[in-house]
Amino acid sequence: MSNRNAFLVFLAGTLASLVLFLALTWDTHQQVAALTNADKLSEQVVAGKRVFEKKNCNECHTILGFGVYYAPDLTRAYARIGAEGIKTVVLHPETVFANSFRKMPNLGLTEQEATDLVAFLEWTNNIDNHDWPPQDRKYTQSPDQRRLQGAGLSPGAAAFKAQCMGCHSIGGQGGSIGPALDQVGAKYDAATIAAYIAAPTTINPNAKMPPQTNVSEADRQAIGEFLAKQK
Amino acid sequence: MQQTTTVRAGGIGMGVRDERLVPYASQRVAYWYFVVALALFVLQLVVGLWLAISYAFTIPQSIVDVLPFGMTRAMHTNLLVLWLLLGFMGGTYYLVPEEAEREIYSVPLAYLQLVAFVGTGVAALVGFAFGWTQGRPILEIPTLLDFVVVIGALIFLFNVGMTVLKGRKTAILGMLLGGLVFLAVLYVFGMPFYRNLTIDWFYWWWVVHLWVEGAWELVTASILAFVLIKVTGVDRKVVEKYLYIETGLFLFTGLAGTGHHYYWIGAPRAWLWVGGIFSAMEVLPIIAMVVDTFHTQRQRGVVIKEKVVWTFALGTAIGHLIGAGVWGFAHTLPQINYYTHGSQVTASHGHLAFFGAYALLNLTMFWYAMPRLRGVTRFKTYPATLGFWVMSLAVLGLGVAMGIAGVLQTYIERVLGQGFMTAQAQMQFWFKVVLFFGVFILVGALITFWHMVTAKQMREEAQESP
Repeated sequence: MSNRNAFLVFLAGTLASLVLFLALTWDTHQQVAALTNADKLSEQVVAGKRVFEKKNCNECHTILGFGVYYAPDLTRAYARIGAEGIKTVVLHPETVFANSFRKMPNLGLTEQEATDLVAFLEWTNNIDNHDWPPQDRKYTQSPDQRRLQGAGLSPGAAAFKAQCMGCHSIGGQGGSIGPALDQVGAKYDAATIAAYIAAPTTINPNAKMPPQTNVSEADRQAIGEFLAKQK
Repeated sequence: MQQTTTVRAGGIGMGVRDERLVPYASQRVAYWYFVVALALFVLQLVVGLWLAISYAFTIPQSIVDVLPFGMTRAMHTNLLVLWLLLGFMGGTYYLVPEEAEREIYSVPLAYLQLVAFVGTGVAALVGFAFGWTQGRPILEIPTLLDFVVVIGALIFLFNVGMTVLKGRKTAILGMLLGGLVFLAVLYVFGMPFYRNLTIDWFYWWWVVHLWVEGAWELVTASILAFVLIKVTGVDRKVVEKYLYIETGLFLFTGLAGTGHHYYWIGAPRAWLWVGGIFSAMEVLPIIAMVVDTFHTQRQRGVVIKEKVVWTFALGTAIGHLIGAGVWGFAHTLPQINYYTHGSQVTASHGHLAFFGAYALLNLTMFWYAMPRLRGVTRFKTYPATLGFWVMSLAVLGLGVAMGIAGVLQTYIERVLGQGFMTAQAQMQFWFKVVLFFGVFILVGALITFWHMVTAKQMREEAQESP
């Protein structure tokens, strides 16, 4: 092959790939509004994104899988621990991670900044990204899918798995933001646990857990019955 | 002959210029680019040790509050980018006069540009410590500093462009200049604030991916082609032909291959197909480059006198193949990437690929140019190769340890669906292994760098040659 032909091969390969790349870039711009619910991209969401950047969150956490692998991915943080959970973590990391072997710095967020951040993470949670990450699919499933996941489990165990294990663990499985609940039944009965979930501080004035407003009345009862047996 | 034997090259310094070694006086600006780059590389490694400690052990809340992991991580990656870019620029200033057969257009501009970049780097590092950041990984430096970078880059392109325009035009210079312009243009896409997170990451990769799998490949392939011609004596026409074919393959696979970063960001499904197919082919140009490098040596049957340069050149070819080619291929298909994305598998790939493809490439050029710039024709090769092996094997060990941690994370967190910290607890041992190898990377780097800046001239009758 002559050098001139080699140069033509270089040019043809580069241009072919470039044309394909730019065509798909154009297509991405056409579809991105629908895929990311751009209509819900409010000023508060943008303010939250600015907080996210100002506080350097992405330098420990990943989001959409990008960033740093020192702390959990935040794409589905909203589904995993909810608005109140996010606020508790960012405003009081020293308490939440007191027993964790990896700490989070207290970044000095104001109440308003924390609220904006929640709006940003709520919007992010709804991005249609082909169901990534796999470990958080259980938090974003429809109620029907969740019921199927819980097949073979008691209603309480299934509800616990779907709604509590982001923070709590049993038998070493689950999250470590809240305490392990292996022996919680020795402390509280079913009704108390159900009430605790709705309004933690009414049972334990020092509780750090935010009220779990997304858990239905029926699920709270079921979870209470399941956890009361853990002693 | 008289001149070489009278050269005294002790301590850190440029020594006396030997016109047979360094034909153009302006090539000497490269010296300071290389020395600053080496110093920044050492600093990057030191900060890296702190990051490994943060992964391997519990850092108390009181320390975390004042010295957050994220702040030091930003320093680690920014030092990487800065030293690699300074290395490319120094390498460019060294090779352009020899290729274009004329002095650099303006030496003061070359120094001014170095000051602009180093000043930006220092301001950025100090700024990070005070929370002055854009908060976007790798592209953290604040907008104000972005503009200084742009000005520095424009000075550089102007200076190199004018030199090339007025001098001999070669394929290597064309490819190098093309790569540098492409590199500078892409940087602009990382500067604005994007309201939509998906679009933000989409253009973030225009900088990061199209740099490392596009523009930088052009720059480094040109630098490597220059070194190959010089140390093997292979015909320029042959090297240039391979340069076109390899860079053509790099861009053909690399441009559309950007799609492998768009699988899970909220972009259309077509990227899964295009990203998967094109990035699976990204290993081809690297294989071509390795075959070409070995082939060049074997077919010619030349005895390569510059043993240190050749060790680093083969090291970068093989490191590029392992780190970028094999490790990249291993998790680039969407079916696998769905589980490995955003885990320590990526960190493992990142370390092996940057070291193999870019750190060693820069050091190859440094080892070609530095002894010449210091007026040294023969020197002890042992410390240089010892440093190479300690550093390279330690990086391999570190990459494998991160890879094992990544596979554990993938299985425990992504497949079994257990919590992030549950997985991290199982991975912690491997972060201690990372720290162990990290220490050896620093040791190996210090050995080879110290020798590079202080190696003394040996007498003619001595057995070893450069």
